[in-house]
Amino acid sequence: MGSGFLTIDTEPLKSVSDIERTTLMTLFPGRIAALFGGRRWRSLAPLAVLIALCVLISIANPNFIELRNLVRVANSAAVPLTLAMGLTFIILMGSIDLSVEGTLSVAAMVVVLLAANDSNGNDYGWLAVLAAIAAGTAMGLVSGLAQTVLRIPSFMATLGMWFIGLGLSVYMLGGSAIRLNDASIRELALARLLGLPLAVWVAAGAFLLAAIIQYYTKLGRHILAIGGDEDVAKLSGVNVTRVRIAAFALAGFFFGIAGVLAAAQLGQSHAVIGDGRLFAAVTAVVVGGTALTGGEGGVVNTLIGVLIVTVLANGMILLGISPYIQQTVQGLMIIAAVALSLDRVRLRIVK
Amino acid sequence: MKDRTISARSGMVSRRTLMMGATAGLAAVAMPRVLRAQDKPTLVTSIRSLSNPYHAVWKTGAEAYAKAVGLEHVTLVSEGNSEKGIADIKAMLAKTGGNMVLNSDPNDTPDARPIVEACAKAGAYVVTQWNKPPDLHPKDFNPNYVSHIEFDGISSGKTIAEILFKTIGGKGGIVALGGLISTTAAIERKKGLDAALAANPDIKLLDFQVANWKSTEAFDLMGNLLTRFGDDIKGIWAANDDMGSGALEALRAENLAGKVPIVGVDGIKTAVDAVRTGEFACTVTSDPFWQGGMGLAIGYNAKIGKFDPTKEPPEHREFYGKAVLISHDNVEEYYKTNVEAQPTVDWNDLWGRVTGAIRT
Repeated sequence: MGSGFLTIDTEPLKSVSDIERTTLMTLFPGRIAALFGGRRWRSLAPLAVLIALCVLISIANPNFIELRNLVRVANSAAVPLTLAMGLTFIILMGSIDLSVEGTLSVAAMVVVLLAANDSNGNDYGWLAVLAAIAAGTAMGLVSGLAQTVLRIPSFMATLGMWFIGLGLSVYMLGGSAIRLNDASIRELALARLLGLPLAVWVAAGAFLLAAIIQYYTKLGRHILAIGGDEDVAKLSGVNVTRVRIAAFALAGFFFGIAGVLAAAQLGQSHAVIGDGRLFAAVTAVVVGGTALTGGEGGVVNTLIGVLIVTVLANGMILLGISPYIQQTVQGLMIIAAVALSLDRVRLRIVK
Repeated sequence: MKDRTISARSGMVSRRTLMMGATAGLAAVAMPRVLRAQDKPTLVTSIRSLSNPYHAVWKTGAEAYAKAVGLEHVTLVSEGNSEKGIADIKAMLAKTGGNMVLNSDPNDTPDARPIVEACAKAGAYVVTQWNKPPDLHPKDFNPNYVSHIEFDGISSGKTIAEILFKTIGGKGGIVALGGLISTTAAIERKKGLDAALAANPDIKLLDFQVANWKSTEAFDLMGNLLTRFGDDIKGIWAANDDMGSGALEALRAENLAGKVPIVGVDGIKTAVDAVRTGEFACTVTSDPFWQGGMGLAIGYNAKIGKFDPTKEPPEHREFYGKAVLISHDNVEEYYKTNVEAQPTVDWNDLWGRVTGAIRT
C-alpha cells in the first residue's frame, strides 16, 4: 500500500478487470472518469463528493464550518462509523450482515441492565461495557458459525440473528425503555476531550483499529482475498472457514461498541434502539465506494461514506430542505455516489 | 402458547392417539351450547407488540382488570403483522366458542372490519381502539361491536403547544419534531400545533422536521437544528415523548438540558421523570393502563347485560377518550399513583372519560 490509505486496493480484481470490454454499458460516469485519468480518479470520487458537499453547504450556510457544528457532525457520525467499520469487513468479503440492529440492541441492553439503571439493582460499572462488547462479539461469532458450519448463506444467518437479538432485548427489557444511570458511562457522550465528545474518540479508535486490521494483518488481507475470489483464495491456502468466522466475530465486536455508544448517547436503552441503523450503515459503506460484490473498497472508503451521509443529513437541515423531500435527496445522493465511485464499465453482470 | 405446545406434541404421537384426540376434540365442539354459556368468558387483548412501553402498560392494565373481575385473560400480539393479528383472534374465537370479550388495537385501519365481523359471527363482544375504517360503525354490528375509542390528536398537539408557549413566556422561536409523515396521529398532532401557532402570533415556528417517532433520529436532528438556529430555539415541541427524550439528550450533550423546555405526547416514564426535573414542560397521555382495562370492562359489562349497547347514545359507541395531562403542577402526584404504584382505576366508571363523539 505504498500509495497510502486513500487508495482503493483493487489488486484482487486485476485479473478480471484487465480484460477490457467495450459494451453498451459504457456510460457517462465511465467516460468522465476516463477523461480525468481513469481508475485513480475514480478511487478518489467519494472524497471529491464529500468535499463538494462541504463546500456547497458552507456557501449556502456559513454556519456549517463553525467549529461547534463540525463537532456535532463528528458526534452524529460516531455510532454509524463504529457500526460501519464492522460491516465493511463483511461486505468486503462479499457477504452481508443484517444483524446490525439486533446485535446493537443486545449490546445496548446488556450495558444498561448491568450498569446502574432504573430497573434493577446492578451496578457493575465498566464491566458492563466489557460484557456488552463481549455479547456483540458472541452474536457475530454465532452468525459466522451458522454461515460456515451450517452452511447457511450470510443473508439468512444474519437475518436470523437480527430477530434473535431483537427478541432477546424485548424480553430482557420487558418492552420498556430503561434508563442508564451510570454517570461514568454517560460521560462517553457528555464529557469532552480537546473539544470532542469521548464518543467521537472511541469511534476514531474503532476506525484506527479497523484500518490496522485491514492493512497490516493477515486477517485483513484474507478477507479482501475471499471477497475478490473465494476459490482463488482457497487454492492459495487461505482457511476460508476460519477467516469468515473471525470476520463476523470482528463485526459483532464493532456492533457491540456501537451499542454501548448509542446507549450512552441516548441515556437509555429500548429494544428498537437500533431501528434504521442497518440501512444507514449499508448506505455509508456503499456510498464510500466499497462494492457489495466484495473485494473492493475498505475502511477508509467507509469513513468517507459515513461522513458523506452525516454531512448530507446535517446540510439538509441547515439548508432548510423540507422533511417531505429529504429522503428523495438522500436516494439521489446514493445513486450518484455509487455511479461515480464504481467502474460500471468493468462490471460483467449487474444484478 | 398452549396451543402451540399441544400441536407440536401431536406431531410426534402415533396416528391412533391422534385420531382419539381428534375425536375428543370434535366431541367437545359438539357439546351443547347451553353448557358453554355457563362458562366464564375469556378476556382477550390484541395488541401490536410488547416491544414498546406503550403496549406493555396496556397489557398491565388489561391484567389488572382481569384480576379485579376474576376472569382468565389472554394477550395476542400481532408483531405488526395484520394477517397474524386477525388469524390469532379467529383461533381464539374458535377455542372459546365465541364466549369471549375482545379489546383490540388493530394493527392497521382495514383490519378492524374482519376482526369485528368474525367476533359478531361468533357472538363475542368487541371493543376497538385507535384504528377503524370511517365507514365501520359499532351500531351496524349490534350488540357485539360495543364501542370504538380514539384520542383526539389535534387536541393533544394543541394542549402541549399551549403549555410550551406559556412556559417560554408567550414569545420566541420553537422547533417541532413530527412523527412518521403518513400516520394519522402525526398529521393530527401537527394540526393541533398549527392551531396553537395561529392563536399565538408572537411564537415563531423556526422549523418543522420529521424524526419518525424515534429518539435516535431526534437526537441527530436536534444537534443539526441547534447549529442552524442556536440560541433562537426557546422551546421544543415533539409529537411523541420518545423523540422529545432524544432531543433532550442532544440538549444535554451541549449543556442545554433544562434550559430549553420540551413537550411531548404519550407519558412514557422517561418523559414523566423529565417533567419532574423540569427538563420537560409537560407530556400528555392517553393512559394505556386505562385503555387496556377499560376496553375489556366496556365489552364485559355489555356481555353480562349491565348495559345494552343498542340503547347507548352515539357518543358512547364511538368516542374520544380524555387524555391525561402531566405537567409541573401534578407530576408528583401522578408519579406516586401511576409510576411508583400500580394506578387505581374505577372500572365501573365506564363512560367517565368520554369527551365526545368522534369527528366524521
